[in-house]
Amino acid sequence: MDNLHIAATATSPEVDFRFDQHQLALTGESYPENAAVFYTPVIAQLRAYLAECAGTTITVNVSLSYFNSSSTKMLFSIFDALDQAAQAGNKVMLNWYHDDEDETILEFGEELQADFQAINFTDCPIAEG
Amino acid sequence: MDIENVLGHDGKPLLELARLRNVIFYHKGYFSNSIISAMAEVVKLQLEVSGVGGPIRRKLFSSFVEISQNIIHYSSDALPPDQPSSALRAGAVCITMQDDRYMMLCLNPIATANVETMRNKLEPLRTMSLEEIKQAYKTALRTETPEDSKGSGLGFLTMARDASAPLEFAFHPSDDDPATTLFYLKAVI
Repeated sequence: MDNLHIAATATSPEVDFRFDQHQLALTGESYPENAAVFYTPVIAQLRAYLAECAGTTITVNVSLSYFNSSSTKMLFSIFDALDQAAQAGNKVMLNWYHDDEDETILEFGEELQADFQAINFTDCPIAEG
Repeated sequence: MDIENVLGHDGKPLLELARLRNVIFYHKGYFSNSIISAMAEVVKLQLEVSGVGGPIRRKLFSSFVEISQNIIHYSSDALPPDQPSSALRAGAVCITMQDDRYMMLCLNPIATANVETMRNKLEPLRTMSLEEIKQAYKTALRTETPEDSKGSGLGFLTMARDASAPLEFAFHPSDDDPATTLFYLKAVI
C-alpha cells in the first residue's frame, strides 16, 4: 500500500506514514478547523495498513507540541487502532516526544499508557531549548 | 472630536483605556479558522517575547484556541447570515493581565434556545476541584462525542483544566432580539 504523507500547515501536523518501512510519524501542532475531517481519512488508511500487518514491528514517533481538544479525541482513536494491532500480535513501539515542562502532554501520554497497554510506550521528554 | 478620542470613553482615548486595563490582545469582529490561525501565531509570539513562563504560556495559548474555536462553533451571528455553513462568526476575545494573573475573556451571541444546554455544561465545572475536572476530562475523552457538540465535548473541560480559578460565565438577553443572548466567559489562567 502507498505511503501517506501530508505536509504540515499552521494548524495541522505533518503526517509521515511510511508503511513500507513500518515507520509512522506525527509532527507539529494540531488545531485544524475540523479535527474529524482532517483525521478520519488518516485513521482509515492507518487501519487498512494495520489490517495487513502480521508479526510486524511498527515504530511510531509522535512529536506534537500542541493539540486542541477535538484533536485529542482523534489522537485517542489512532492509539486505539495501534493498540488493537499490538493485541493482534504486532509489536508497536511508540515514542512520545514532548517538552519536559509540558504537563498536559505528559499527562495525556500517561492516559495512553493506562488505556493501551499492548503498546510499548516510551516517554521522551525534551528539555526546552 | 479629536482623532485620539475617537472610540474613547469618559474623556479617555480607547488606546489609553486598553493600556490602563493591561490589554495584551483584543479582537472583536468576525472569526474564521484562518483568522484564528493568524491570531494564534501573534499571541504565541507575543507571549514568548514578553517572557511568560512555558507552562502559563501553553495554558493561555490552549485557552485562546478553545475559546476562539468555540465562537466559530456556537456564535449565532454568522456571515453571510442565516446559513448554517457560514464560516465567519462574530464574537470578541480579550487577553488582559490583572493582579499578576492572565485573564481570557470571550463574548459572543448565542441562540437563546441554547442557553440552558450551555449553562448545564458550565455550571457543574464551577464547583469541581482540579482533580475532579481532570477525572471528568478523562471520562469525556473515552466517551462518544455528544450529538449537540461540534467539537469534541472537551472544550470547556480543557479550559477549566487550564484555568487557575473556576470558569465564570454570564448570559445577557439581547435588548433588541429575544432569540439572541450574549454569552460571556472568563478564565483566569
